[in-house]
Amino acid sequence: MEEISPLAEERVVEFEKPEPQKRELTFKSFEFRGTGSEYFRIWIVNIALTILTLGIYSAWAKVRTNRYFYANTYLNGSNFEYNANPVRILIGRIVVIAVYALFILFSQELAMFKVASGIALVVFIAIPWLIRQAVSFKFRNTSYRHIPFRYTGKTSEFYAFFLLHSLYNIFTLFLIFPYSYIVFKRLLLNDAHYGNGKFKFEGGVGDTYAIYIQIFVWSTLFLIAIVLLLGIIGGVGTAMFSSYLTPLFESLKESLTPDIIAVITSVGVLLFYLPFIFWNKGFSDGYFSNFVRNKSSFHQSPLKGDMKPFRLGVISATNLLAIVFSLGLLYPWAKVRYLKYKLEHTHFACENYNQFESDGYEQGSTVGEEMVDFFDIDIGL
Amino acid sequence: MIIDALLYDGSSSKEHHVEIEFTPNRRVLIPSHNIDIALDDIRIESRLGNTMRVLNFPNGVRCKSSDNNQIDQVLKEFGLSKSKAYKIESSWKLTVISVFVTVGFVWFMLTAGASYTAKGIASVLPKNTLEDVSELTMNQLEDNYLKHTKLSDEKREMIQNYFDRLTKNEEQYQLHFRSSPQIGPNAFALPSGDIVLTDQLVDLSRDEKFRDIIGVLAHEKGHVVHRHSLRMAIKTGIAGVLIGYITGDVSVIATAVPTILINSSYSREFEHEADVYAVSALQDMNISTQYIANLFETLAKESEDVDDNSTLTGILASHPLTSDRIKFFKSYAEVKK
Repeated sequence: MEEISPLAEERVVEFEKPEPQKRELTFKSFEFRGTGSEYFRIWIVNIALTILTLGIYSAWAKVRTNRYFYANTYLNGSNFEYNANPVRILIGRIVVIAVYALFILFSQELAMFKVASGIALVVFIAIPWLIRQAVSFKFRNTSYRHIPFRYTGKTSEFYAFFLLHSLYNIFTLFLIFPYSYIVFKRLLLNDAHYGNGKFKFEGGVGDTYAIYIQIFVWSTLFLIAIVLLLGIIGGVGTAMFSSYLTPLFESLKESLTPDIIAVITSVGVLLFYLPFIFWNKGFSDGYFSNFVRNKSSFHQSPLKGDMKPFRLGVISATNLLAIVFSLGLLYPWAKVRYLKYKLEHTHFACENYNQFESDGYEQGSTVGEEMVDFFDIDIGL
Repeated sequence: MIIDALLYDGSSSKEHHVEIEFTPNRRVLIPSHNIDIALDDIRIESRLGNTMRVLNFPNGVRCKSSDNNQIDQVLKEFGLSKSKAYKIESSWKLTVISVFVTVGFVWFMLTAGASYTAKGIASVLPKNTLEDVSELTMNQLEDNYLKHTKLSDEKREMIQNYFDRLTKNEEQYQLHFRSSPQIGPNAFALPSGDIVLTDQLVDLSRDEKFRDIIGVLAHEKGHVVHRHSLRMAIKTGIAGVLIGYITGDVSVIATAVPTILINSSYSREFEHEADVYAVSALQDMNISTQYIANLFETLAKESEDVDDNSTLTGILASHPLTSDRIKFFKSYAEVKK
């Protein structure tokens, strides 16, 4: 039976006239050729030099890190390029830190709250503009085959988005958040260009709600399973061993020094944080990354994501364990491992990599990028 | 010397396989693209691991080559320096030194460094900032936990006299008598120098002259003198920032783990510092440390009887190590005898 059906299908295809527009898609996956041990050296030297130069080197450190990751990312045999200028990044950092320092100075040291709230207000009003700057920074400093990406989204669109959607979300108690997500992704991707080619994102609101519901259902089942498991272990444990447990707890109580209490608390926090990281950096990130890739195309050529959310969750959770138990030293390996998985499960079907023409490199402000960096804001790029 | 490279002309995404020739008279030739240019006019980016080396030509042409070693060789022959960062990254010795610099710095900032920073900040910090924070805390405590004292005037006067001797009438230090069944036998100090003493602790005193209570007050003054609350806040902050920076995107809660570990050892260190201060203050006032040791013994017994989930803060909460501390005070008492 199973051997016949593909043959039957083939015969049907033979009789059909081949559609002229339908072309065979050959997906190529992104590759990552860097290694944890190579990145470790770059990472640790970056930190040491940042310490020794009282933070000034951090701008060069950022460029070296990004250059390393971009240059090791390959598509169709060619690698990406990161072109940001460290001196400009340093200037952006100084501006951000100066404004932040002024705010702290006025609010906490001089107790001049009017001046402090004035500063906060100006920054607050500037946020949509700064975020647009950060988006543009990331695109225009990335290139592939010496042709830069470009971002043409308008500042007014960012103001409209943040103003309207913060109101929508407040009034609907964030029920409309999946819709905001889609609108923001459109804003980011539909104005993104590479050379004379354009990105297009066609994700619908329905898809996002479906994903949110899917993640919600899985997470709830997962939580119920954990609670049940703990309950069963606890219940059976107490029933069977209660006569042994009570003296055990008594003796434990006496040996509780602050250090032991601290260790127990830490393990407790970690145990709570593990499922969160599994869920946030792995599970839901996997779903959304696939979704965005599958609904995006560049110059009529589709992208594809086929990450396994569960696998990405396991990678994230074990990475966290490795980082914590190595006191941070395994961070470079963890980062490479996570990125490698995501890149190798991202595919692109372009039939001609030679067809794009450049609009040239642009320069712009680095303040937005550095603000996003300093406050660790995730703009989802 | 000839190296293989890829060439991009900067206007289209076409990729060309080319050979770049470096001639002895410092010229760079790419015959296939009619390029013949001085070596000093091209910008060779610093080496970064084994990633493709980028060579930027002035007319918007970019070449990339994976032949890093050959390019380094060329640079060396023409007396151009290798990137300093790569020199460090590629040397085992300097990488290991980097690890030591990083670990050493983090360790220093979490121990001695934080105390220096705290001293620096505290001296810069306007006095009213500390007072504002303390007032806020005090108001919250007053609203939720503290009631009027029920101690007799006589008892209060006795303790207040000791307190004035202890603080030498410095205006910064204020003693507040309060009753608090919730907090129980306790005393605590706010960074401003306000020290709260509960009736419940005074009730536990076994000395008719309250020489044990003054020991506790001296201990609390020690916390203020050594700026423990500020140091704790700064250390926790520094720990968070450092761990956050070094581990990149592993965020707040993961950093809470080491922070908790650090805090517990801090509180022990701080309690000890305050105890040492109390001993010297008591010795200055010619009071034996035996009294405070006795009070701690009573407290230790009390806390065994009372269930452990009471919300003790201040002098008892972070010190189930009372037996060590009792020994500490007793050792000074014996010297005195």
